[in-house]
Amino acid sequence: MKKCDLCGKNEAVMKVRQVDKDGNVTELNICAECAHKRGFSEVEKINMSVAEVLAEMKKKVAEEDRYLVCPGCGMSFAEFKRLGRLGCAECYTSFGPRLESLIRRIQGAVQHIGKTTKVGRKKAQVRMNVQRLNEELKNAIQAEDYEKAAKLRDQLKQAGKHAGR
Amino acid sequence: MLAANPVGKWLAATGMESDIVISTRVRLARNLVDVPFIVKASASDQARVVDTVRWALQDSGYLKRGKFIDNEQLTEEQGQFLLERHLVSPDFIEAKTKRGLYVSRDETISLMVNEEDHLRFHALVSGFDFPSAFDVVSKLDERLESQVGYAFSSKFGFLTACPTNVGTGMRASVLVHLPGLVLTKEIEKVLRGAVHIDLVVRGLYGEGTETKGNFFQISNQKTLGRSESEILETVTDSTRQIVDYEHKAREYLIKNLRVEIEDKVFRSFALLKSARILSSDEAINLLATVRLGVSLGIINQVNLSRVSKLLILVLPENLQAMLGERLKLPERDERRATFVRESLVR
Ligand SMILES: [Zn+2]
Ligand SMILES: [Zn+2]
Repeated sequence: MKKCDLCGKNEAVMKVRQVDKDGNVTELNICAECAHKRGFSEVEKINMSVAEVLAEMKKKVAEEDRYLVCPGCGMSFAEFKRLGRLGCAECYTSFGPRLESLIRRIQGAVQHIGKTTKVGRKKAQVRMNVQRLNEELKNAIQAEDYEKAAKLRDQLKQAGKHAGR
Repeated sequence: MLAANPVGKWLAATGMESDIVISTRVRLARNLVDVPFIVKASASDQARVVDTVRWALQDSGYLKRGKFIDNEQLTEEQGQFLLERHLVSPDFIEAKTKRGLYVSRDETISLMVNEEDHLRFHALVSGFDFPSAFDVVSKLDERLESQVGYAFSSKFGFLTACPTNVGTGMRASVLVHLPGLVLTKEIEKVLRGAVHIDLVVRGLYGEGTETKGNFFQISNQKTLGRSESEILETVTDSTRQIVDYEHKAREYLIKNLRVEIEDKVFRSFALLKSARILSSDEAINLLATVRLGVSLGIINQVNLSRVSKLLILVLPENLQAMLGERLKLPERDERRATFVRESLVR
């Protein structure tokens, strides 16, 4: 059993490389606790590159992955594993702990820190709505459905008030 | 369509450490709220994203300071041209989606619509300058967010098609020229050392360390669980360290192998000034050596900016765009040689 090179107390569970000012590389054996303090929370994470994690994911498609389906876009977890791409924002909640553990392996974290949105989110939704209504209005006029067009114009007026422009 | 000349402002070779750090880039990945991600987006969803983004760019004043190129205009040649200029990714030019591209006039900003995510945009600036790049990209990000709305969760941050980008959705990178470390055979060691601090290093042309011209791209690997400023700090610190090693390697070369280095530099310069046939690979390698020579003060007939610009303009699509004609192979290499000769001998 190897002792941790940093604290000298616990059992070392992983190797990390360090470069000093003169460009000399030293390999350190460090314990889980010290690794955690320095931001490595799992062994496999630094031993495996992101590409390796993704390649492994593709190979390990389990039967039950086909039955975990996102109601938002219809993508199954198996499909995601094959493509390496999610189908919609909702997939992040639909695939629950299975996706979360994968994210943990890739990112070494499962909680966002940093810039958030919200500002303008509401305004944006209203604007998208205005755009959709405009499109529908154009179609209604083209189809000479004036009753529908009048209704859409009212809705647009309402939405315009909220958009504040 | 973009003209070949002038080249992007990021090639001005200005800014800090520009003898080693050619450019700094900050890229963000974003998806629109309530629209399925690319693999599940219908053609009309994709078209709607393009329209929405174009409209948002217009509304926020970006459109009049640049150009929007749609799918129909994105021919294979145009795509290759843009790739050579660092404005799009290889995935973008191969994507089968309804794409869109915005490029600011000075080529500092590029925004790809419907690549792997609805939006991938970057700010690319000359030299070692994360503050400027981040500032430019953040402003655009905030304008777009208020116009189009992003897919976001408080747990995972900005939601992206691939979990490797989730969180900040940010990739911060520098393009560095490390001939000193390659010549002193220190490169492997230094780059390997960079990996354990969450960084990815790639050769600019091709993978690994056997790269043309000794250009390397260094970027953060992880995007979740670190704030934007932490990511920038990590990449900045490592870059500073790598730049420091490169400086030391160059000092060593000048002190101990001056004649050998001068020989290498002057031979490369002479070849560029007299060759009659020049492939783009050969041109890149020779120009890269001349670039080192200029940085070391061995050559002063040309400046860094001229060499950096040539490194882009000798590439096949840029060369042809600049000359204004399509050229087949033996002739293209002849015309490249003429162009380089004329650019250096004057
Ligand atoms: Zn320890
Ligand atoms: Zn989904």
